[in-house]
Amino acid sequence: MPALTSISDLTELRQQIITERSQAKPTIVVCAGTACQASESSRIIRRIKRHLLMNDLIEKVNLRVTGCHGFCEVGPFILTEPQGAFYVKLQHNHVPGIIDAMLAGEYVEELLYKDPVTGDPYYVYDEIPFFKGQQRTLLSKNQQIDPIRLFNCISKGGYLALEKVLTNPDPDWIIQEIKRSGLRGRGGAGFLTGKKWELASKQDGKSGKFVVCNADEGDPGAYMDRSILEGNPHSIIEGMIIGGLAIGASEGFIFVRHEYPLAIKHTLIGLRNAREYGLLGKNILGTGFDFDINIVKSAGAFVCGEETALIKTIEGFIGEPEQRPPYPIEKGVSGKPTCINNVETWANIPVIIQQGADEYAKIGTDESTGTKIFSLVGSIRNTGLVEVPMGMPIKELVYDIGGGPKDGCTIKAVQIGGPSGGCIPHWRFDLPISYGSLNEAGAIMGSGGMIVMDQNTCMVDVAKYFMNFLKDESCGKCFTCRKGTQRMYEILDDITRGNGTLEMLDLLEELAQAVKDTTMCGLGQSSPNPVLSTLRYFQDEYRAHIIDKRCDAFVCKELVGAPCQAACPVGTEVWRYAAHIARGEYEEAYLAIRENNPFPSVCARVCDHKCELHCKLGTTGQKPLAIRALKRFITDKIDPDIYHPARIMEASGKKVAVVGAGPAGLTAAHLLSLQGHSVTLFDAHSEPGGMLLIGIPSYRLPREILRREIAALVDENITLKMNSSLGHDFTVDQLFKEGFDAVFLSLGSMKSLRLGIEGEDLDGVYPSMEFLRKFNTDGISLARGRVGVIGGGNSAIDAARTALRQQGVEKVTLIYRRTREEMPAFEEEIDAAIEEGIILETLLSPGKIQAKGKTVSGIECVRNKLGDRDSSGRRRPVPVEGSGHVIPLDTLIVAIGEKPDLENLAGEETSPVETTKWGSINVDPHTLDTGRAGLFAGGDVVTGSNTVVDAIAAGKRAAVVINRYLGGEPLRQPEEVSRPSVYIEPLSSDQQVEFRVRPEVPHADISVRVTNFEEVEGTFDAETARAEASNCLRCDLEFISPAAEEAAAARSGGDHQ
Amino acid sequence: MISLTINGLPVSVEEGTTLLEAARYLGFPIPTLCHMEGLSPYGACRLCVVEIGQEPRTKLVTSCTYLAEEGLRVRTSSSRVVKARKMVLELLLASCPQSKTIQDLASAHAVRQQRFKQEYEDCILCGRCVRICEEQMMAKAIGFRGRGSSRSIGTPFDMTSETCRRCGACLYICPACELRCTYNEPEKAICGGCANLSPPCVETNQFDDLMCYMDPCVACEIKKDSNQ
Repeated sequence: MPALTSISDLTELRQQIITERSQAKPTIVVCAGTACQASESSRIIRRIKRHLLMNDLIEKVNLRVTGCHGFCEVGPFILTEPQGAFYVKLQHNHVPGIIDAMLAGEYVEELLYKDPVTGDPYYVYDEIPFFKGQQRTLLSKNQQIDPIRLFNCISKGGYLALEKVLTNPDPDWIIQEIKRSGLRGRGGAGFLTGKKWELASKQDGKSGKFVVCNADEGDPGAYMDRSILEGNPHSIIEGMIIGGLAIGASEGFIFVRHEYPLAIKHTLIGLRNAREYGLLGKNILGTGFDFDINIVKSAGAFVCGEETALIKTIEGFIGEPEQRPPYPIEKGVSGKPTCINNVETWANIPVIIQQGADEYAKIGTDESTGTKIFSLVGSIRNTGLVEVPMGMPIKELVYDIGGGPKDGCTIKAVQIGGPSGGCIPHWRFDLPISYGSLNEAGAIMGSGGMIVMDQNTCMVDVAKYFMNFLKDESCGKCFTCRKGTQRMYEILDDITRGNGTLEMLDLLEELAQAVKDTTMCGLGQSSPNPVLSTLRYFQDEYRAHIIDKRCDAFVCKELVGAPCQAACPVGTEVWRYAAHIARGEYEEAYLAIRENNPFPSVCARVCDHKCELHCKLGTTGQKPLAIRALKRFITDKIDPDIYHPARIMEASGKKVAVVGAGPAGLTAAHLLSLQGHSVTLFDAHSEPGGMLLIGIPSYRLPREILRREIAALVDENITLKMNSSLGHDFTVDQLFKEGFDAVFLSLGSMKSLRLGIEGEDLDGVYPSMEFLRKFNTDGISLARGRVGVIGGGNSAIDAARTALRQQGVEKVTLIYRRTREEMPAFEEEIDAAIEEGIILETLLSPGKIQAKGKTVSGIECVRNKLGDRDSSGRRRPVPVEGSGHVIPLDTLIVAIGEKPDLENLAGEETSPVETTKWGSINVDPHTLDTGRAGLFAGGDVVTGSNTVVDAIAAGKRAAVVINRYLGGEPLRQPEEVSRPSVYIEPLSSDQQVEFRVRPEVPHADISVRVTNFEEVEGTFDAETARAEASNCLRCDLEFISPAAEEAAAARSGGDHQ
Repeated sequence: MISLTINGLPVSVEEGTTLLEAARYLGFPIPTLCHMEGLSPYGACRLCVVEIGQEPRTKLVTSCTYLAEEGLRVRTSSSRVVKARKMVLELLLASCPQSKTIQDLASAHAVRQQRFKQEYEDCILCGRCVRICEEQMMAKAIGFRGRGSSRSIGTPFDMTSETCRRCGACLYICPACELRCTYNEPEKAICGGCANLSPPCVETNQFDDLMCYMDPCVACEIKKDSNQ
């Protein structure tokens, strides 16, 4: 076809193409962008072609191979038009089925995109939440056109804007139009494009001007520029021609990374086609306007995206930024005025010209108009490219379009703007995305990279990662950028290795500020942003690394050591006993457990096993090691008497009072007694055990086992004073007067919270603690008939399962106002409760309690639906109007939480302890010091209701601190990193199992167990236990070898054993 | 002519004058390291930063590369400038403590501590040698290679250059004593070790802290280290 020589030629051609293609044929759309090609979409395309040829469907079905649609996560995929079915994660053999279904107007259900939570398929593409929330002005073009076919592009409105401006060429009008649209540079800095063009157009252009498209996209995890060049190169070409016309340039460059071969290929094809059709080159469409574009391939240095460095590179020099002013629009390529814009900016130009500036300016906010493409990656369900209007709150982007966090995770921050951007914490997710608001929050728009981070991301490590990137990608010209980034990296590296000091934080901030101030280009000036923004929002994480030598995300290897050990509040060396079990050394395994934990049998049953949460097996795609079950196996098998704790025989002569004989108090008493102190243990109940005895039902923790374990801890140094309650029988003042040198308050958290609704004092309504205590200590069953339990925590489940086992109970209903995923109770407990026949009613809020006389007869409930998200990303329950109904009940148990009972402390003369707004005692978390000399507090009374193992940890800490107090040492003990220090020879590989299924412990038969209080959970047999233990990845071996063990032993002055 | 104010003093300069030249014309001292008369401005060392603009929207720029602008307000030693300069010097000391030039500058700016990991590099990549070779000696025998932390100066492919005339200008001009110093190994160096005419602490016993610029003297640290 000859070149088009006039504007009307183009109009005619367009009309002709549209008419020819008007007959609606079903179309198969396949993405062949780089990401989908990586997941083998080319095989799908080949298969489609073959199927169409072999079945003579060429005339009936269209195939369109497009660029990136954005939802790269689910590629390769097929979209059918006009049906709108979206088939994801395909293999080539799925193709025939899909084509047949499409022709028959049906769906292949199992291949459709499904909701990740509910599993329901979506039949229409637009309904999928990922697409529904977007406004896809640019990306929708990618879906509509085949990038290497100019006709396809023209038929979908390509070059319409060019037609419009060439019909009546008026550079001023174009510039005014762009100015009025409010378009700001999409490359990051956000300079007004129209203003830039205006300045450029005023430059003396006698020796020529240039326009440049900056496609040097180098941010880790960002690829929106690539997707536009790949998917719609003509939009860039068209935008640049318009730009050239506006500023008076006759030559343009597309500066693109050589790592983008497909983008380069498509752009080259686009340029060739455009030249052939007279849309580019000399005398465009016969209007006398000359404009041509060349491609410059950059070798991929990050800094070359900076405009002055980019100019240097085009000129053939080293890519080093230069001092501005003079700005590129004054003195750019070869000293001529040069107008540089980002790919996305250029792609927006035809849109603005075509639909008009006013229409465009309606999108977004006043200060930032239009849509912006973000590359949404990281710990999120739907990763890919999303295009949203400016001003959208971050939470909408992350939770609605992005689908929220992956299972079991909570999002804590997003990193916006690439390496020189900043982190925005989850509590600021209400922030609307615009240039101004992001700047204010310490991030930048950048090119639009958005990395979502959850609790498994360490912010210090993030800052370190970006510094590492920047220290290599700095051009190195400015001394402060080159050395500054290197020094920041060094400091961060020190912190992640546990060698940090608090002074380093000041130095880091000072250095970051200096680098920001004294560097020349945008890269240098924004390079400290990752450090500054993490310091600003996540100072506590830095301090945890420095002071506590702890990395809560379990990322910084040097601080974590073996994750299981680091996760355990009492520091149990899980790897060690797993290794011993694998070798059949059960006694050694028991000793390894017992050394750090005075309650091994208790924890083997009721521990919340934080170790399993962080087990490397679990975090690398398998199920975590069954650690608690292994511990149970050992504690069942080994006689506890083999453990003889190290004891200081000489009496210290000091007296310590421990108030509250729960796990924290017993642990503290036991450990203090080993130090030779004389301990008196007070408790209001008749038997020691605290919550273990009162709160935890015996089907989870058999009483004889609990009693045996407690008895082993109480020795002749410990005096038990049962049935004596603080505030009634004695006061703290009295204890000090009686000659106690120190007092430890471990009162627990045993006062049930009230709902605060009408009818809570009726007969048959019980707070959960009262209900459990009556049964567990006095053997009195309070539940009867139809039982309702309100709450979603462990005590709610305990109360429900206990009620179910009591005589005369018909059914038990558990009422919780949020969804099951949000129930704080342990997952396995909820499962067991449902198995036993407890009815779980979620999204139900209690209203008034109904009475028949003085007795409860039912509860009014309102159904909830999920409403807006709060800042943690959880959707608030919102009552559904008219959904009120009554659940008839004979017993109602309120289990919405417990708080410490501090009224008993009211009678003290000396200043009472400081309390928090949650009604717990306020102490220094490191020393448990209440502020009053010699008075310490720990366990649930400080933390509020918490787990058993945390209480034991508090008891251990109390013992250490009180011992230091009694010895006159400073209370605070510097934290040390606990890394594995014992070497245990691993089994040779041929003894190990290759394919692992996490074994389940046997459970008592459901029909039998609901009728009695016998223990439900069983234990492994030896073979299963050894096999499972040998699956341990032995993270300890990274830190310890036989030689290292000798060295460690020599340092500590003796043998570890 | 362009009028601007430097530290409150009005001054008129010809177009194309740098802020550094203008400030020096008025007698305001601005420390420099990579700058040298007769060589094109480069802006690598960032020592010569000055604060420009009206508050609160001021910024720091290198005076050696920034051209005078009409009505510009310049401050050569505001607290922000001094703070930045001290950090630059601290970074320089941390990388290249042997250089007498750097020691003197640090001393003059009362930089008394160095909080980073001590390195003993013999080049700060100020680019003086590259520029003198190209601009004054017309040889272009050496240039920059690499980027970021692997940036270095040398001949292409590290081969003996045929265009190099062994004029020695690069050695003469080097502020960090690259190559000129015969004692650039830390063990042998004394206070920078190079051909300093007056090494400040050759006989530490005799002079003690008398001649020492630093506290503690980073150069002496080297000696202590090597004795261990």
